[in-house]
Amino acid sequence: MRLLKVSTICWLMLACTLFVFAAGEQEKAAKPLQIVQWTHEDPNRTPLEEKWIAEFQSEYPNVRVVRETSPSGKIKEKVLTAFAAMKGPDIFNLEAEDEWQYIVSERVAPVDLEAVEYSSYEALRNEYLPVTFNGALYEGKVYGMPMEITNWCIYINNKYYREVGLDPAKDYPKTWEQMVTVAEKLTIREGEVIKRRGFDFRYPYYLAFFVPMANQLGGTVLTPDGKSAAVDSPAWIKLLRYMADWGPNGHNLGSPTYTNARKTFNRDDNSIAMCISGLYQYDRIKAENEAFLPEVSVVPYPRFEDAVNDNGAAVYGHYYMVNSSSSPEVQEWAWKLIKYFTSHEEEFLDQVGLIIPSKKLLQTDVYRNKKFADVFIEDMRKSNFIMTHESGPKIQDVIKEMVEGVMLSNIPPAEAARRGKQKIDDILGM
Amino acid sequence: MGIKRRQYWGLIFVLPAVIFFALFSYLPMINSFIASFHSKDIISLKAPVFVGFKNYIHIFTSEDFINSIKATIIFAVGCFIPLVTISLLIATVIVSLRRIPWIQNLFKMIYYSPSIVSGVVSATIWLLIFDPRGLANQWLNFIAGNPTPVDFKWLALPAMARLATIIIYFWKYVGYFVIIYFAGLVSIPQSLYEVADIDGASGWKKFLSITIPLLKPTIEFVFIVAFIQCVRTFSIQYVFVQSGSPREPINVVSLNIYTTAMQYHSLGRSTAMSVSLFCFILIFTIVQLRIYRSERVSYV
Amino acid sequence: MYIRGEKFKKHLRLIIPLVVLTVFALAILVPILFMLISSVKHPLDVFEFPFRWIPRRLHFYNYIQAIAGNDGNYYFIRLTFNSLFVAGSIMCLNVLVASAAGYGLTKFRFRGRQVIFVLILATMMIPFETIMIPLLMLTIRLRIQDSYMGLIFPVMLTAFAVFLMRQSILTVPDDYIDSARIDGAGELRIFFSIIFPTVKPTAVTLAILVFRESWDNLIWPLIVVQSQKYKTLPLYIISFLDEKYTNEAALMAVAVLATIPIFMLFFAFSRYFIGEGILTGAKG
Repeated sequence: MRLLKVSTICWLMLACTLFVFAAGEQEKAAKPLQIVQWTHEDPNRTPLEEKWIAEFQSEYPNVRVVRETSPSGKIKEKVLTAFAAMKGPDIFNLEAEDEWQYIVSERVAPVDLEAVEYSSYEALRNEYLPVTFNGALYEGKVYGMPMEITNWCIYINNKYYREVGLDPAKDYPKTWEQMVTVAEKLTIREGEVIKRRGFDFRYPYYLAFFVPMANQLGGTVLTPDGKSAAVDSPAWIKLLRYMADWGPNGHNLGSPTYTNARKTFNRDDNSIAMCISGLYQYDRIKAENEAFLPEVSVVPYPRFEDAVNDNGAAVYGHYYMVNSSSSPEVQEWAWKLIKYFTSHEEEFLDQVGLIIPSKKLLQTDVYRNKKFADVFIEDMRKSNFIMTHESGPKIQDVIKEMVEGVMLSNIPPAEAARRGKQKIDDILGM
Repeated sequence: MGIKRRQYWGLIFVLPAVIFFALFSYLPMINSFIASFHSKDIISLKAPVFVGFKNYIHIFTSEDFINSIKATIIFAVGCFIPLVTISLLIATVIVSLRRIPWIQNLFKMIYYSPSIVSGVVSATIWLLIFDPRGLANQWLNFIAGNPTPVDFKWLALPAMARLATIIIYFWKYVGYFVIIYFAGLVSIPQSLYEVADIDGASGWKKFLSITIPLLKPTIEFVFIVAFIQCVRTFSIQYVFVQSGSPREPINVVSLNIYTTAMQYHSLGRSTAMSVSLFCFILIFTIVQLRIYRSERVSYV
Repeated sequence: MYIRGEKFKKHLRLIIPLVVLTVFALAILVPILFMLISSVKHPLDVFEFPFRWIPRRLHFYNYIQAIAGNDGNYYFIRLTFNSLFVAGSIMCLNVLVASAAGYGLTKFRFRGRQVIFVLILATMMIPFETIMIPLLMLTIRLRIQDSYMGLIFPVMLTAFAVFLMRQSILTVPDDYIDSARIDGAGELRIFFSIIFPTVKPTAVTLAILVFRESWDNLIWPLIVVQSQKYKTLPLYIISFLDEKYTNEAALMAVAVLATIPIFMLFFAFSRYFIGEGILTGAKG
């Protein structure tokens, strides 16, 4: 019984402290206009946005901004359940392909041109690289302001190149065909198990890394009218054959079940020589393993030898969006705040490594001095925006199944393509 | 005081629980039940459209859901049998060490420790173990005595992915049932065993004729709970699919429900699946309870 | 000789189970050791293959980073208090309400008893993912979202708990209760002074299981709480798994820290695990 008493007392004390805590933090003043912003955790961006919020609030004392963060792996779920329960935040951001569904369902409001001080959507779009708004453009209106627009290139560990007698400045793979030979040279195996991969893809983000490869060969996910799937075209079959050769039953160069390439890359621990990632990876290496930085180089996304389109990896990103159920006044101030955020492109690039590709930014020294930023921007100019479609996540799952089927389960590429087409057609027909 | 009046006290004791379940389980469930007859995108503002049994017809004719049922049954059977038997054996052995209580506690703690570790973290650890370069391959190659390492493709081959999920689940929950069995075992009066000892009964005989019958309420409980837990499994499969395992062999019903609602946004189909899952487990549990009741012996 | 043989046999009967248990325990412990060892490794060494059981360099800084957090705001401490409070409250409420319900369902014969039991049991079969959204809407309507009440009440009870307590109270002999009634004890007193002490091993087991479950609950706190001040530990743990800012070494360190309260609880309660049967047996 003594234990019971002691634990009850502990619990009561805990309860009291917490309630005092919570009560102390309650705001008492009459509430000004409140804007709730939800965003993912980002230790670098948080202090910047908090600083801007403070500046914004002191300039407009009638506005109070509540900024709340969630882990980036879970925010998608959190925003979705909140919107489903009709209790969404006023401002939020997600990955563009997920935000698309909010646009189509009219849950987010188009950009308030007056609040962001542009005369028309065209004028707004003209301030940025052409690809910037492709994920937020719907029926002639723009539904979000860019927070981060990025694409992927190839990161190289120069040390391993030299180790096998390659010159990282010249011998890097320009085509996917060369990628196989270069990766093979860099790979170290022990039996069937790969100790060091030369290169590996960025599974399972198939819409971002894989669909653009199909685009290079002239393949598309859907037919031009968007009514049926086109994943059984010769381009796709050729690409699936390429992936089958890449996998454990082919040349055994990599597989989706190894630890993510970009994670182990930073550690420089002889487990991977090349990986796919965005500009932000550079800042990440700097934070995690600065000694490794001089050995890193970045080259453009490879193309196929017989490519018909000269595009790199998909462009994707995050847009700040505004809840269409918020009151008109809140919406107006939300857009003003977003405009205030996004007008700091230079700090975004310099301190967080996030690209807001405005034409203004490309003229600044910050951009010129940012290492490798030009490699990414040059590739971005040629590339397409990631596929945005109401059934995007579903289609990505089907593509995952196709690729993993040929890589891991020995399904013939033509058969995988046929099954994939059938599944996507089913999805579109629903 | 009348017997009748006293029975009202029973209702009073049950009332808080009844209110809780009515409010926080049945109200939302009724909501879901209604949603299963409608077609609705989870975030759309458009009013749900009544479609009758269309969602049910769709899921029961789709290959995808049938595959999910198959995956669930394979997982549940593969997990349930080792879980309920091995945990009983372990608990019995631990109870037999009654002369050294601190060892009992130590072992109970060790077996229970996997469930203490945060779910996200244990998933991360297991993925490292099942990585082609990880411990699982290393040890299996060592045991098999392979001169050159073979990749057993733990996360990649359908059968291995199933086995891997079962191993993790077993690891995580075996201690859970050990301590539930243990709580049941220690409440069996020791005097019964002493009487049996005088009669010269063997350990095995004591186990069958004293332990098992007296442990019946606990066994009944563990069987039902373990079965329901196995059928509802979700998080391991979710993490596996996220980390590049093929979806098909481990696309259990709960995972399918989740993906259909949260990724594909079709609320109607997702709730139709959950209502079906609910009915399936309910029927199965009632059958299980019936079986136990018919062969119930008095244990008081 | 004869005596020695007997003694040897007795020792053997102790050693065999010990060996079996130890071998099995070691297998169970592999991932746990993995976590403990990784938590003191340098962040760059966590992913090295093959896994090194003895770290090349010790790096206790992980623990400091785990407490300081990704962005150094020391929320860990506040969140630990939140978690303790929420899990503790759920544990107390759960055991109390579940035992009461278990008592009511077994020792009284009112009409609808079986129906209530089956209906409660049936809720065990509802996958949480399906009622998540309606439950959130209900919580919003009750105006308890983003508060401790919202964290506690909607997930306070499980059918599992009622079921466990019912099964346990079934074994309490009716004579105990009847003789107490004859002595003139009230129903509440019977519950607290007879039923509850008799099923204490089970109640303590349940308490630990419930505490652990709410300690590790991620999805409900994630959707019901927005303010930093009400967040719980699992939300903190997964922020170390962030796509861009992963730090597995610190993640392992947080995970190790997060298990400590459950270990403490386990040992604090451990003597209640030993039921009456064992005590008399040991004496004999």
